[in-house]
Amino acid sequence: MDINAQQVNGICTLQMEGELTIYHGQEIRDGLIEHLAANNEIELNLSGITEMDTAGFQLLLAAKREGTRLGKIVRFVSHSQATLDVIDLYSMAAQFGDPLLISARQ
Amino acid sequence: MAKTIMVVDDSASLRQVVSIALRGAGFDVIEACDGKDGLSKITGQKIHLIISDVNMPNMDGITFVKEVKKLANYKFTPIIMLTTESQEAKKQEGQAAGAKAWVVKPFQPAQMLAAVSKLIMP
Amino acid sequence: MNMDQALQTYIEESRGLLDEMESILLRLESEPQDEETVNAMFRAAHTIKGSAGLFGLDAIVAFTHVVENVLDEVREGTQAVNGELVELLLKCCDHIGLLITVVAEAGEMLDMEQAAAGEAIAAVLRSLMGGAASGVAMPAVQEPRLDASGGGPIEGDYWHISLGFGPDVLRNGMDPISFIRYLSTIGDIVSLRVDDSELPELNAIDPESCYLSFSIEFKSEADKKTIEDAFEFVREDCRLRIFPPPSHLAAFVERLEHASGNTDMLGQLLIEAGILTSNELEDALAAQENTMAAGGGAKLPIGEVLVKEGVVQKEVVDVALEKQRQIRDHKAQEAKFIRVSAEKLDELINLVGELVIAGAGASLLAHRSGDVALHESTSVVSGLVEEIRDGALKLRMVEIGETFNRFQRVVRDVSKELGKDIGLEISGAETELDKTVVEKIGDPLMHLVRNAMDHGIESAEARMAAGKPAKGSLRLNAYHDSGSIVIEVADDGGGLKKERILKKAVERGIISPGQTLSDNDIYNLIFEAGFSTADQVTSLSGRGVGMDVVKRNIQALRGTVDIESLEGHGTTVRIRLPLTLAIIDGFLVGVGKSAFVVPLDMVLECIELSDADRKAADTRNYVNLRGEVLPFVRLRDQFEVNAAAGKRENIVVVQYGGQKAGFVVDELMGEFQTVIKPLGSVFRHLRGISGSTILGTGEVALILDVPALVQLGVARDEQMVMHGA
Repeated sequence: MDINAQQVNGICTLQMEGELTIYHGQEIRDGLIEHLAANNEIELNLSGITEMDTAGFQLLLAAKREGTRLGKIVRFVSHSQATLDVIDLYSMAAQFGDPLLISARQ
Repeated sequence: MAKTIMVVDDSASLRQVVSIALRGAGFDVIEACDGKDGLSKITGQKIHLIISDVNMPNMDGITFVKEVKKLANYKFTPIIMLTTESQEAKKQEGQAAGAKAWVVKPFQPAQMLAAVSKLIMP
Repeated sequence: MNMDQALQTYIEESRGLLDEMESILLRLESEPQDEETVNAMFRAAHTIKGSAGLFGLDAIVAFTHVVENVLDEVREGTQAVNGELVELLLKCCDHIGLLITVVAEAGEMLDMEQAAAGEAIAAVLRSLMGGAASGVAMPAVQEPRLDASGGGPIEGDYWHISLGFGPDVLRNGMDPISFIRYLSTIGDIVSLRVDDSELPELNAIDPESCYLSFSIEFKSEADKKTIEDAFEFVREDCRLRIFPPPSHLAAFVERLEHASGNTDMLGQLLIEAGILTSNELEDALAAQENTMAAGGGAKLPIGEVLVKEGVVQKEVVDVALEKQRQIRDHKAQEAKFIRVSAEKLDELINLVGELVIAGAGASLLAHRSGDVALHESTSVVSGLVEEIRDGALKLRMVEIGETFNRFQRVVRDVSKELGKDIGLEISGAETELDKTVVEKIGDPLMHLVRNAMDHGIESAEARMAAGKPAKGSLRLNAYHDSGSIVIEVADDGGGLKKERILKKAVERGIISPGQTLSDNDIYNLIFEAGFSTADQVTSLSGRGVGMDVVKRNIQALRGTVDIESLEGHGTTVRIRLPLTLAIIDGFLVGVGKSAFVVPLDMVLECIELSDADRKAADTRNYVNLRGEVLPFVRLRDQFEVNAAAGKRENIVVVQYGGQKAGFVVDELMGEFQTVIKPLGSVFRHLRGISGSTILGTGEVALILDVPALVQLGVARDEQMVMHGA
């Protein structure tokens, strides 16, 4: 699991690559905490996620809530099929959806 | 990409039937004939589920499960233990070692697939 | 390899079915209303799905499942058939074909495009059905889905599953995602709501722990156990609550009400009815123990625990409690009974019989002695003896209800076997009769019931055509009628066809051609050996063996059987049996020096034979009884009593089975309670005598077989009438 951060116009884009699973839970959590502390607006690019499980899903959900709590913006974009499958199964598109970018997958 | 399941059993025919069923459902299968063989084949792979017999030569199933759970890459991997009706104690032992799922022998391929699909999807 | 061969068979079979489906679809465009074609197509999809399940081909099962659902709606008529649908279904065929090809070339996978196309077809199919089912939804429809998932439980006839995972499930390699996906293979997830209220702040999260709970609205035909089994591997690691759909509740309640009564334990009752699973009961019992320990020894009733733990709804528990009370009441009632060996009972009744005789003797003597005080005291004794006799008799009497109730199951099973819809109505279940009679009536009744269902009640189509309700009705009825118990087996079927019976009877040589018979006689022909009128011999009622056996069995019980039938409206078989085989209230009459006993229940009245009638009676065997023709039998002639006729003669008018007849006797000696002593086998052939008894004086009196004598009288009368004409 790699998280590559890029700053563009004050927005931090996190490109996540690989498996968003329990095996990498600790590092993902720590990475998310770190970037959330340092930035006001975070865009999580999920296009490189090959696999996501409930552990990974919980972390994304918590990151979104953390953003709201801190008054920051946390956005998910470019969902990969693996992430969409889980989000859809859990009927959680409201929290994770970005209609503009979701439709880009078509 | 299809997910991979490792089937560990000393009966070649059982491995074959299970493999056929699993492949038919869209999984990749790696076969191993006992715990030792399983451990040697597990490294360097990405395996999503392990199906293991209890009684095997060289390394039995319980030891195998304990060894697998020590591996960083596999400590959260679901394991299905193949038990028999009379082996309630072995089942408990397997569960304590970390094999939380089980299928009771003898089983139909469909029963195996049902158990597998409760744990992973292809 | 065997599996391979089986799989090859499956592939070929499925391809054949697909071809069939395709050609049906093409035909369907031109004749969309054809019910059978739609049925055939549904069956094809169903078979493909079913066999795919056998091989664990989940992709095919999942896809054909959706197709099957749509076809089911088409079959039900809730889905209109149009060009668009046919087009779509053709695409479905193609996709199933593709999936089967994947199976044929094991290991091959659909490419992304094909998979997406399949999902798209499935999505359109689902949208046709209007139910938002699981699967990847199009972004355009995501907004309304959010509202649904955010709201409270969605109303509908769905299972409600509440699923709270323990913290360790993920660590154990179990992922809720898989279980929920698995669930969608045994039904449709209508909606799913994630409860993340337990999820802590990001920096407090243990990434390996699970914090989520789910509530799922689930549409499935599966039973509770199957649904519970989906979670068997996480049972110890999750809090699972499964609530059946509202429509199931009614069924549960019904099943509860019809519980076998094998158990009076509440938990077992609920399990038997399919409401509770044994796992749930175990958990509840453990919870009960816990609350007991915590609450200082007070044990909460298991019903309350189940409601409190949210396992079973209170209404259902209430029904179960009521049922439990009933079963316990029944058991308590059973406990009030004492089991006595039949032999002891018989001995007692025999003794009571002797007592009755001795009592009658004492009364007779007292009467003759003219001692008023003695006469009074013996009449008190007689009264008591009478009561003892009644009580003793009642000991042997049982209600026929239990025998009748056994037929509920028979009717249910046989109607299933025959493919007919037949309901059983029972009345007069509380009618009592002698235990020995009950034991012996079971087999003949069974035969009559099966016969009525097999030959009597027509197929649903024939019934509809005749303007009758499709559901056939069978009625078992019992009542007391003049000293007998009457048992009726009635159906509302096609009735007996006289022409057919006559034809067959002639064929079988039972009657000669041209013989004139009354309706009753014709119907009674079916009791002749080797008679069967059914066009089709079925395994159920066999080849006409039996109806004659039925008659013989009933006759052996001193009973009779007759048939009433109206063509097109049904048939009633009426069995008439004596209430008891041991004691009768008799009416003592004298002919010359001989004494005869007529069962009192059958005596209507006694009249004196006038001189005019006596003269006329020499030439004809009937008298005019208030304008009615009353055939009679002279007992003097019948039993060849060698004594000159007395100065006066009397007629005892008796009735049996709706027919009246008179017995001409010399002397009327009054009521007499008597014990039947069966005749020895030497006298078995004696017509008109059913038994003997011993009078108080020690003399023997013969008990008249009224049915036989009535028949004799009526027959003679008819003969005379015919001769006269």
